[in-house]
Amino acid sequence: MRCCRLIALMGLWAAIVSGSSAAAAAACERPAGWTNAQHVAGKTWRVWWQSSPAAIPLGAHFSVRFHFCGPALRRIRLRGWMPDHQHGMNYRPTVARSGIAVQAKGLLFHMPGKWQLILDVAGSGKRERLVATMVLE
Amino acid sequence: MTPVFRALGVSFRWPWPAVQAVLISIALIIVAAPAQSIDFTAAEKRQILRHGPWPQASEPDPSNRVSGKAAAIYFGRTLFFELRLSTSGRINCAVCHRPLKGWTDGVPKSRGHAEVDRNALSLFNLRFNRWFGWDGAQDSLWAQNLRPLLDTREMGIGITGAADLVRGDKALSCEYRAAFGTAPGKDDAAVFVDLGKAMAAFLETLVSGRTPFDDFRDAVGRNDAAAMAKYPAAAKRGLRLFIGKGRCAFCHFGPTFTNGEFADAGVSFFIRRGVVDPGRHGGIRKLRKSPYNLLGKFNDDPARTTAVKTRHVRLTHRNYGEFRVPGLRNVALTAPYMHAGSLKTLADVVRHYSTINEERLHADGEKILRRLDLSTGEQADLVAFLRSLTEKEHHPALRMPVRLPTCK
Repeated sequence: MRCCRLIALMGLWAAIVSGSSAAAAAACERPAGWTNAQHVAGKTWRVWWQSSPAAIPLGAHFSVRFHFCGPALRRIRLRGWMPDHQHGMNYRPTVARSGIAVQAKGLLFHMPGKWQLILDVAGSGKRERLVATMVLE
Repeated sequence: MTPVFRALGVSFRWPWPAVQAVLISIALIIVAAPAQSIDFTAAEKRQILRHGPWPQASEPDPSNRVSGKAAAIYFGRTLFFELRLSTSGRINCAVCHRPLKGWTDGVPKSRGHAEVDRNALSLFNLRFNRWFGWDGAQDSLWAQNLRPLLDTREMGIGITGAADLVRGDKALSCEYRAAFGTAPGKDDAAVFVDLGKAMAAFLETLVSGRTPFDDFRDAVGRNDAAAMAKYPAAAKRGLRLFIGKGRCAFCHFGPTFTNGEFADAGVSFFIRRGVVDPGRHGGIRKLRKSPYNLLGKFNDDPARTTAVKTRHVRLTHRNYGEFRVPGLRNVALTAPYMHAGSLKTLADVVRHYSTINEERLHADGEKILRRLDLSTGEQADLVAFLRSLTEKEHHPALRMPVRLPTCK
């Protein structure tokens, strides 16, 4: 009986945790005022991102704000990548983090075509790659 | 009567008058036929429109407190032609950047007091550059102007020599005061940098004029078929190649026809046996060490708004042997081509890209340049398009008075 109670309690705990995650994931609302933000969903994290200027310029520096939903973040790496040409940016962005708010500065897409913003994220024993794809003309 | 008909027993005479009439009619049709019309797709038209408008809007350079100021422009022009800024008294900027030669010198590698390792870049449209020099070792136009004054192969006057010249010459110090609001002070480095800033103010005015391509581009924007028809068919075919199969527009995009960055174009970077030109890799290393970069004390902008590029530029292995992607406006005026002037004509450049050896590229897996195998006709069309990027009128800077009137 004790083991059954333990199993039941574990099941209840799992339900609470998954329910919380689901609730948390479901509650990943667009931050207030981020009218041009776009959304990328992974299995563990979801992220809203918005560039400044609002439309990513071709051949000019821009910055990006991120708002993460999910487990606590330990590490974020950001890079730009052109999959068709197999090259990245000529600039290394700086990434500053304050809780779930992240800001990257110094990005520049120097060629027209398809670009990817690639976020390699780690935290709470998990790792994930989130990719936002866009075409600049 | 021809032998064939004679053998067949057929009596036949060529109806020469009728034949003549037909031949003449055919000739008239050929002459009168309109140039083959080229209908650009909607996607092509969008790409064409992105190569304008021209001229572009521009703002003064915040890192240069005299950018855009008339007195500084005059002073900068004076300095540009000042022979005493060289140790020999025989070299000025115009030796390698000749106004009537597209602001370059027409030789593969320039020569001041000695031959240097690279071709003189044209001075058109510098105000729109992000980086300066074939290797981008400078991040501002005023810093770029200081480099030849320090290089003994070029002008070599040095910091103290330049400052002493301006302080000791009545007309030059008058123009300095007019440009900067004070007489040249005792700080040699500050005066030296100010000379670079005055020259930058002048060079910023060297913006190339409108071209036949610009007229066509604007006609596309208006959907003006009559105006579009004036653009030569060969240039249209070349334009289609430029934005399509030729893959030129990946690097040569926008109103200035450059992305402002650097690339390995498959041109040898050996200077001579055993000596290589490191290109952009060397440029970034020089930039980071330079006291004149935008992160340093000579930047007049307290907010350092234009220093983002310098703060974030990345040094990678791929940069070795990369050289700047030059703008293509007035390119027909600036032969020879590439960083060491190794290609004599535009036809040579187009042929180079058409037959490029992809295995020679040090691109670390990057896949942009490809062997194009263009036909002779296609190559000629591309050259025709590039020629259509030539300004229709000479530059007004040539008509400026030599000296600021109040300092004569």
